[in-house]
Amino acid sequence: MLFDIANNVALQQVLATMEVTRKRIAATQTRGYIFIAAGILICFLGFVLGFPVPGVIIGLIPLIYGSVLLFKINDSLTAYRNEYKTNVIGAALKFLDESLSISPYQGIAASEFMYTQLFTQEPDRYKTEDLVTGCADRTRFYFAEVHAEYKTVTQTKNGTRTEWHDIFRGIIFAADFNKNFNGITIVRPKGFANALGAWFSKNVFSFGGNDVVKLENSDFDKTFITYGSDQVEARYILTPALMERILNLNHQTKYDISLSFIESRMYIAFPLNRNYFEAPVFKSLINAEALNNDITTIKFMYDIVKELDLNTRIWGKA
Amino acid sequence: MIIALVIIGFIFLTGIFSYNSLIGKKNQVTNAFSAIDVMLKKRFDLIPNLVEVVKQYTTYEQGTLTKIVELRAKAGAANISNAEKADLDAQLSSNVRGLMVNVENYPDLKANTNFINLQTTWTESEEQIAAARRTYNASVTDYNNSIMMFPGNLFAGMLNFHPIPVLETAAEERKNISAKELFNH
Repeated sequence: MLFDIANNVALQQVLATMEVTRKRIAATQTRGYIFIAAGILICFLGFVLGFPVPGVIIGLIPLIYGSVLLFKINDSLTAYRNEYKTNVIGAALKFLDESLSISPYQGIAASEFMYTQLFTQEPDRYKTEDLVTGCADRTRFYFAEVHAEYKTVTQTKNGTRTEWHDIFRGIIFAADFNKNFNGITIVRPKGFANALGAWFSKNVFSFGGNDVVKLENSDFDKTFITYGSDQVEARYILTPALMERILNLNHQTKYDISLSFIESRMYIAFPLNRNYFEAPVFKSLINAEALNNDITTIKFMYDIVKELDLNTRIWGKA
Repeated sequence: MIIALVIIGFIFLTGIFSYNSLIGKKNQVTNAFSAIDVMLKKRFDLIPNLVEVVKQYTTYEQGTLTKIVELRAKAGAANISNAEKADLDAQLSSNVRGLMVNVENYPDLKANTNFINLQTTWTESEEQIAAARRTYNASVTDYNNSIMMFPGNLFAGMLNFHPIPVLETAAEERKNISAKELFNH
């Protein structure tokens, strides 16, 4: 464990107070769901037993009551979630490093998401929250949760159907890179589509100004495809040591990461399939399983700077 | 008759395609080499400043400094071959590296802002040269692959394309650094 949640008195007090709120919210939510379920059951029985009209009328009463309960508790739930982010996650961050702080309502703007060039598809729906900023020794960094989707509209018999597909869901991490550079270098996981695109751009013609950069680390080349506006600069950034470090970082994650290097900044996209920094409602705060997971994530992000050795500043960049 | 024409046409087109692609790759190699050249030039240009700064503080390193200046002059001379240039650069590198180690004996020099700047620029240029060399080697490998693999190998000999050797690290640089040697300077 990273720091002792069980013996941190201040944090335990906050957690104990919030646990009371959580229990109240959980109880109300459970009641709400039970009423809604009862309402639906009554309507259903009405239809089955041949009394549809009285069934619906009687069923509507608990259904509406349950919905009102859920609606009324919603504000408390939002407040509770925010308090968790600010007080609990915030305190845990300070424990890790004084410079770290979280802003629940801020994130990485859609324009910056496109600017990173990590993904080519323009999002139609974009959500971002939980911006964490800080400094690890000499390197400034920030990261936030991002969910970007695009939609497809298909014609069906009954009109049109809109479907949403993920472009990316996870955490985008940005840090000041320790070398100066002018061009763009992008490292993407070697999926089938990417591999095909790379073959085309190498052998037939290339789109845009970025060519495939063939690197000598064969493990790296098997896992990723690298594009760069300048072949020499891409190699200046991706030294043999950095390639090894990126591979190590990639081994620690479930899904392959993508990286881009633009205007002396490095971006990394970590695909994840759960929402981070969310207060649990139906699980106790006291045993702090969720909190531990969140802290592990933050620590992981914080350690990237060390892992990629971004604090070594011997290349003429202060 | 038509089949024969189609086959001849196909061979002809493949020939043109291979030829163009080989020329493209060969130019890429030349281009990559000139990138190394630019980086080397940048590094050679650091030498006078470096020598000037070091001279002010040290009295014992005159031998090394003179050697470095000589090497730089040779490297700057016109009409020297690429191989010679690479060799001079290797010698220069090892001399400067030795100098950087000896700087430990001169606390004043070590603390000099100019010197610190030069040192960072020097490490940066080392890294850039390394990157340029890797780029060159990647282009050479790409070019060599295409003249040795089918269908390039059918035309390469006829059209006078020959494999180019990749740049290798100078034996001296590849050696593990021995602390004993460093301190016996």
